[in-house]
Amino acid sequence: MPEALGLQHFLLVGAALFCMGLYCVLTRRNAIGILMGVELVLNAANVNYIAFSRYGVGGVDGQVFSIFVIMLAAAEAAIGLAIVLGIYRRSGSIDVSQMTSLRG
Amino acid sequence: MNLSNIQSLPFSLPEALLAVGVVGLFLLELVVKRKAVLGELALVITAAVTCLVAMQSGGQQGLLFSGMVALDGFSIFFKLLLGLAGFGAVWMSLGSNEMRDEHPGEYYALLLSVTLGMFYMASATNMLMAYLALEFVSQVSYVLTGFIRGSRRGAEAALKYLVYGGVASGAMLYGMSLVYGLAGSLDYAAISQVMAGLGSGGVDGAVVAGAQPVIYLALVLVLAGVGYKIAMVPFHMWSPDVYEGAPLPVTALLSVGSKAAGFAMMIRFFYPAVSAYDGDGNWLTAAGVDWQSLLVVASMVTMTLGNVAALRQDNIKRLLAYSSIAHAGYMLMGFVVMADDGLQAMMFYMVVYYIMNLGAFTVLLMVLNQSGREDIEGFKGLAWRGGALPAAAMLIFMLSLAGLPPFAGFIGKFYLFAAIIRQEMWVLAVVGGLNSVVSLYYYARIVRSMYLDQPAEDAPGFVADRHNGVLVGVLAVATLVFGVWWRPVVALADRSLSFFTG
Amino acid sequence: MQGPDLSVAAFLLLSALTLGGGGGVIFSGNIVYSALSLMVSFLGVAGLYVMLEADFVAGVQVLVYVGGVLVLTLFAVMLTHRIEDIKVSNRDVGKLPGLAAALAMFAGLIAALEVAPWKLPAEGVAHEAFASTQSIGNALLGRYVLPFEVASIVLLSVLVGAVVLSRKEVAEPRVSDDA
Repeated sequence: MPEALGLQHFLLVGAALFCMGLYCVLTRRNAIGILMGVELVLNAANVNYIAFSRYGVGGVDGQVFSIFVIMLAAAEAAIGLAIVLGIYRRSGSIDVSQMTSLRG
Repeated sequence: MNLSNIQSLPFSLPEALLAVGVVGLFLLELVVKRKAVLGELALVITAAVTCLVAMQSGGQQGLLFSGMVALDGFSIFFKLLLGLAGFGAVWMSLGSNEMRDEHPGEYYALLLSVTLGMFYMASATNMLMAYLALEFVSQVSYVLTGFIRGSRRGAEAALKYLVYGGVASGAMLYGMSLVYGLAGSLDYAAISQVMAGLGSGGVDGAVVAGAQPVIYLALVLVLAGVGYKIAMVPFHMWSPDVYEGAPLPVTALLSVGSKAAGFAMMIRFFYPAVSAYDGDGNWLTAAGVDWQSLLVVASMVTMTLGNVAALRQDNIKRLLAYSSIAHAGYMLMGFVVMADDGLQAMMFYMVVYYIMNLGAFTVLLMVLNQSGREDIEGFKGLAWRGGALPAAAMLIFMLSLAGLPPFAGFIGKFYLFAAIIRQEMWVLAVVGGLNSVVSLYYYARIVRSMYLDQPAEDAPGFVADRHNGVLVGVLAVATLVFGVWWRPVVALADRSLSFFTG
Repeated sequence: MQGPDLSVAAFLLLSALTLGGGGGVIFSGNIVYSALSLMVSFLGVAGLYVMLEADFVAGVQVLVYVGGVLVLTLFAVMLTHRIEDIKVSNRDVGKLPGLAAALAMFAGLIAALEVAPWKLPAEGVAHEAFASTQSIGNALLGRYVLPFEVASIVLLSVLVGAVVLSRKEVAEPRVSDDA
């Protein structure tokens, strides 16, 4: 165990989180499961940005970037929910076999 | 020039107009009774924006908004193309039965907003701005894909698009974080300086220890994000389903707009930001990291997979999706040569691709409007039941997509092949050539169906609608004209290949 | 400034929370448990942000991620349970190849990150802590004002789009144009 904390330790956590997200994305079949993996990847990237912002020369830029990432993740979650709701509503209200006849 | 926020405002009129258009259409939807006006307004806005961009060409160059976006020949070229793509999509939507009563205010506002996002993708010179623009385009595209009410196919396509898009942009984000760590800045200008300091990797260029693996990983991860936008294998999986499930005008926009924007962002990141220019038309990669070999393979696999999969498609939308994957592979040929002539060939090909692909989609839209069919059956005997002109136009587009002379597609491919042959990349050239032959088969299949198959006895007559016909006519003439008189466009691409890096 | 021992202990605890949560997300068979593990992971990450002197981002993480994104995810989870599973991936990789790929990526990352020439402040230059909230505010309204404004258009478009997508259809939905 090194004396004090350094950049490498945080990068290690980020890398581990990224690979967990990758594993999740590769193995899940369910859309929501994959999106959870994506959230892990985004958090891994954010840990990196903030670690570089603290230990590197980048200044506040990394923190600003991570705020944009969080904002975009929230927007993406909103669209995802809207789409899932739409599918749910349709499959709840109309016969699914009727829908697939759309192919024409 | 490197302008501050306030000073930049006069130079971002096109973007400002688009933003006003987006907000304006959202608001007008609430008060306007005749909804058709909204689409026409969007058409006027896209036309005006394209004109405003054209007026900027040849003017001052510089970085705007403290280095967030660049105003240079390259961004103006792509903004022109993207403005026209937005115009084409709005035009097609106005002539589409599918989109007639699908919340026009919101729909057209979203079309303008995706155009705005693509503008920023093409001009971003900062990783934060580039990521934001990419997500902007992606997220609005998810909505547009699932826009038709009651279409389960559309909703599922939208969900699939969202999931793949999230994965790809997440990987890109992580890759960018590594670049940020290396460069200590998000600006492309600063990144290029740091990358140059890590060693050029030329014959005698020493490389800073430990730089290569991390740069390689970072670039591969960034490639995932942009590769998904341009539908490059292995990040293409979303594309056939999304193209099939989305409303046709949106599919057309994705295939010509988002792909061009993705390429623009890719070129800006991989060339001026992480490669060094030797002043003589060639580029050297940072720290000698050999990412081109990876892309050479990706290019070959992309075009082969796209073409082979297209062979067995009956749904024309899906066929054009695979064809568009294959074309991403062709365009990548210009990307891997690490030279200006490759980039110019790519830019020229993107113009040609815009013309012929948009044309093919518009003919498909006419068929879809008439018969409700988007499979090859809808084209059966098209030439003999009143659709002689659309069939002739489709013939032009198909042969041009296949790369036959004397159409524009041939000239485009000629420049691409010339660029790689000049670098003596023979394997790539041979694979590309074989692929063009394979692609001829499925393009010719549509032509055969239109001309050689007799229409069924009870087949309804085909009445070409004038609105879409005008667009098809213009694009068909352009395909012919640029097939014999391509100099001006090539000259424009040559002139436009200038990056302002500050 | 805390003593080195305390901060190391805090770091270990927070990383354990983060990675343990992540492990729960990927290995749990029940997707509701996955979602709750995701929350643990997010909170661990927020703690790491505090250790990295990014208190504002930590706050945003808790408010937006845990409070917003996660709630939306949970809603989606509840709904998808009702409509069986929505399969999007027609070619999922098996567990073992997936694990192998992830481990290979991890090994590659570790090897690359260990030796990478990060751009660090010159030796002997003391680290200057900056006030997170204030500098972010200045950056957003100064250098980053264009992304800030563009973000507002993104949010406007996306939220209007989400409303359109999920709006209850008043009339009977059309099956298709050609029906």
